[in-house]
Amino acid sequence: MNTSTSTYAMRCGVRRGRIEFMNSVRAGQDIAYYIIVSLILLVVLWLNRNGTVPGTDVSVAAFMLPGLLALQVAFAGAFGVATALATEREDGTLLRLKAVPYGTVGYVSGQLIRVLLEIAFSMVLVLVPAAFFVPGIMADGPLAALGAVGYLVLGLFAVLPLGFIIGSVFKNPRSVGGWGMLVMGAVVWVSGIFAPLATMATWVQILGQLTPTYWMGLGLRSTLLPEAAVVAEIDGSWRTLMTIAALLIWAIGGLILAPVLLRRMARRESGSSVAARREKALQRV
Amino acid sequence: MSSHTLEQTAAVDVTNLRMRYGTNDVLHGVSFSIHRGEVLVLLGPNGAGKTTTIEILEGFRKPSDGVVRVLGENPATADERWRSRVGVVLQSWRDHGRWRVWELLDHLGSFYAPYSEPNRPRPYPTDELIETVGLGEHRNKKVSSLSGGQRRRLDVAIGIVGRPELLFLDEPTAGFDPSARRDFHDLVHRLSDLQDTTILLTTHDLDEAEKLADRILILNHGRIVADGSAEELAHAVAGTAEVRWTQDGRRQVHSTPEPTEFVRQLFAQERGAAGPFAVVHDLEVQRPSLETTYLAMVAQEQLAHDDAVGRHQAVLEEVALQQESSR
Repeated sequence: MNTSTSTYAMRCGVRRGRIEFMNSVRAGQDIAYYIIVSLILLVVLWLNRNGTVPGTDVSVAAFMLPGLLALQVAFAGAFGVATALATEREDGTLLRLKAVPYGTVGYVSGQLIRVLLEIAFSMVLVLVPAAFFVPGIMADGPLAALGAVGYLVLGLFAVLPLGFIIGSVFKNPRSVGGWGMLVMGAVVWVSGIFAPLATMATWVQILGQLTPTYWMGLGLRSTLLPEAAVVAEIDGSWRTLMTIAALLIWAIGGLILAPVLLRRMARRESGSSVAARREKALQRV
Repeated sequence: MSSHTLEQTAAVDVTNLRMRYGTNDVLHGVSFSIHRGEVLVLLGPNGAGKTTTIEILEGFRKPSDGVVRVLGENPATADERWRSRVGVVLQSWRDHGRWRVWELLDHLGSFYAPYSEPNRPRPYPTDELIETVGLGEHRNKKVSSLSGGQRRRLDVAIGIVGRPELLFLDEPTAGFDPSARRDFHDLVHRLSDLQDTTILLTTHDLDEAEKLADRILILNHGRIVADGSAEELAHAVAGTAEVRWTQDGRRQVHSTPEPTEFVRQLFAQERGAAGPFAVVHDLEVQRPSLETTYLAMVAQEQLAHDDAVGRHQAVLEEVALQQESSR
């Protein structure tokens, strides 16, 4: 790989991501989606603003918020990217970029930037209103916020390759929609977002600790919640080193596997394979 | 440098290209080359192997066997610099539907900037190219709101935005109305004349092939059955022209392989004859059209193919009979 030209293609990809994000913000359909999802999350937080996590004086809403941020990252990074990849493979976007020099590099970096902007945007939509009624989320000041951003970025790199892997394994966006939602639902349930994982059955705890979302949520809670909230966690500890290690394992594993699968998928793209999928998709309508 | 001299002679060089899907042979040892600056049209019925051939040359498909050289390199292993010298016109469906026309062309063009050369500045300036393909007034429209013909013009613009040395077009004018088709033909002529672009295109439209091609290849059942200019092909198959004229108040028709000589004799005979009725008028000389030629060639080939299948069947039956009798 020629470094200077592929770096150049990454810059083209950054612009691509920005344009894609702006196109999405301009589209009424997408804006409606952002707003509805944010509203749902805010309603859940609002309903839980008064209760406290058993054995602590931390409000349930404050406990949930870091998990919801982790969920947003997982949703945009894994499910969103997988859907985009499957859709854009079917409609010929990927082939279009494969036909230009280092276009696939531009495509992948474009996805990355688009997801980053999307996550930032949807978090602002939730965090700004939440700051008014969720007690004590910014209690630890700007340093804690910086730590939270660190966990979010690390978490994104842990789930993003997963998105590329799922998107390149499934043949069309419909199956990503079906299976992806099922898997995401299961992941949300076992990763201790709505109730502390420590209070759940052992087998759920084991499954939950295999997901990157649990560790992302734990890392975020460790920076955003008061120190006293630690008693609600497994082993009564933030397990900081363990958190970083788990997220890194996910990220590194994904970063090794994703390019291999992506290359394999991109290699198989041609005008006639896109045409064949178009025929198939149009027959369904 | 041998690769350099090769590049100067041929943009594409294919020897004994074979493609097999499972047990189904799609290309049976196809060989041809395209010279620099040439416009080659690949003709053939559906399923002849046109798309497979073009996708192998584009580097999107690996051949089962054979030697392929495109701009001096093997497309299956060529790098991104090679990619920057090759243009591919794809059929759009609904990709980049939310993008604006100008934005998309400018974005895809930007990937070519590191490959700019003094005599071939890359990419093509976006504004200029948009005007060239006649999308000037639609530059700020969303791609999804373009009509079919406008979309195809955008496809062509995307294919040439990197100022390719070699351009591939797979059925570029499918779904064009006559005026869009004429505009497109003008564009192809301009590309090949001014930019010295080598062009390979496939089409079903014989008229289009005749208008654009320096040379025509006819592919049938995975084999090349004809290779030459439109006139050469016409001569090779139906070598006769029809001469029609009116004389003595009657319409006359004569078929001849030498129409010029025949007309000369016709006038000589007219001068020898007497009276106003002997005057030749409404003279027409009709050479066989590419359509007649093409249909004749594909039909001949079909006969040969059926024949071969028939012979094969006969041999099988004979073997079966022998086995029967030897029992």
